[in-house]
Amino acid sequence: MTSSVVAVWSHRNALRLLVRRDLAVKYQQSVLGYLWSLIEPLAMGLIYWFVFGVLYNTGHHLGAAKDSYPLFLITGIFAWMWTNSAISEATSALTGQARLITTMKVPREVFPIGRVIGRFAEYVAGLPILVILAIIFGEFKLRWSMLALPLAILIQAALLVGVSLLLSSLNVLLRDVERFMRLLTRVLFYATPIIYPLALVQNSSMPGWVKWLYDLNPLVGIFQLHHAVWYPAEFDLRLTIIAAVGSLVSLLIGWWVFRNLEPAVLKEL
Amino acid sequence: MSQPIIEARDLGIRFVRNRRRQLRLREMIIHRGGRQPRGDEFWPLRHVTYDVQPGEAIGVIGRNGTGKSTMLRLIAGVLIPDEGSIKVRGAVAPLLELSAGFSNDLTGRENVHLVGSLHGLTPNELKRKFSEIIAFAGDQVEKAIDTPVRHYSSGMKVRLGFSIISQLAHPILLVDEVLAVGDAEFRKKCYATMERLLAEGRTLVLVSHNEGDLTRFCKRGLYFDGGLLKIDGTVTEALGAYNAGARR
Repeated sequence: MTSSVVAVWSHRNALRLLVRRDLAVKYQQSVLGYLWSLIEPLAMGLIYWFVFGVLYNTGHHLGAAKDSYPLFLITGIFAWMWTNSAISEATSALTGQARLITTMKVPREVFPIGRVIGRFAEYVAGLPILVILAIIFGEFKLRWSMLALPLAILIQAALLVGVSLLLSSLNVLLRDVERFMRLLTRVLFYATPIIYPLALVQNSSMPGWVKWLYDLNPLVGIFQLHHAVWYPAEFDLRLTIIAAVGSLVSLLIGWWVFRNLEPAVLKEL
Repeated sequence: MSQPIIEARDLGIRFVRNRRRQLRLREMIIHRGGRQPRGDEFWPLRHVTYDVQPGEAIGVIGRNGTGKSTMLRLIAGVLIPDEGSIKVRGAVAPLLELSAGFSNDLTGRENVHLVGSLHGLTPNELKRKFSEIIAFAGDQVEKAIDTPVRHYSSGMKVRLGFSIISQLAHPILLVDEVLAVGDAEFRKKCYATMERLLAEGRTLVLVSHNEGDLTRFCKRGLYFDGGLLKIDGTVTEALGAYNAGARR
């Protein structure tokens, strides 16, 4: 495994190029171009704000975030867009670039990893909007909890790289993966505290084992970290540890599966 | 003699025909290799052993579907063998496909940068060599350099692909049957370039059905039949075996 990590690192230039190419291709034929990566999550945020904020008044469950539900929502949705698009695009990273992969000797890991980085770039592009929202809602305060953001990004990146290595290689042999993931990401969206606060789940009347299962989802800890940037009370050490361990395990499994499937994958492409 | 630059030892690779993907998945993860051969498996290449010395030019000869391209892909490292080993001491400049790995959505210029860098050209080298690459590919490509490669003819793609490959400083050059696509004028340019590269001491592995091309560049020939290396001798011997096989 170390050797392939070294190989990927020594091809970081190739990685940068692939990311730039992906972004260029994605936006070259649209007028609004890069803005789409902001418009989409903002529109989603607006919808959820209308349904859950206005109609269902989720805000009053929020405690500290009572008056700033839109900020809470957008924080989660931006991070979710990274997760969702990275997973769906990484799944087709090998099948979609077969031509490049079968003619070029580049460590194959760079293709799925490149997709995760590309979507991360879009996430970073949205950060200024988060900051502006935080200032508007008066939650932008320089304090230690802001360090939750780099920690969240680190854990999330590890998780996404692991998942994308796993899915991209599996998808070559089993095209069902792509369809299955579309369904699964939808489930995950609601199984993660994005549009609702975690407290709602914890205070619900669900049996203990369901809550325990819910907590095992590493995304729960990651999104709590994202929220903790503005609402320090959302920080939960136990969930953070679960997320960190889960992401590390996913990274190791993903890399291992990728390495083991690689010979078969190359034949199939 | 110096160390061989390519060293194949009992090389073999197994493909599966009409494979039931679902069934195979578990096996692949749990035990790779070392299983009994099954009915639907076949070996495009097996028990292949040879050495290539630096500076040699080798012609790979055989009928269609006898593992020539698979051999080249194994040397290029875009396939991983199931059996035996292949050691390649040095970077490889491969021209394996007509499309040369170009992305249809990108312009010629963008593709030159992407493919060139993926092959290991630094940004500086690319900047220096860009005009040379374009000039070599011809006027037609030069005029279309800022349109997407989707609109290129296959001849234009090969021209551009070959120009990039020929600018690489890699010691090993792999060329798979692509020269046949270019027109006479471009072929002449390719011949001159390949002769220049060989004179510089590069190693060439050429797959072709064209006797003229093979005898022009290669002294040594490998004749493949049914996935086995049948003849490893002079290019005339290999061609003789190929022609004898074709008459049968």
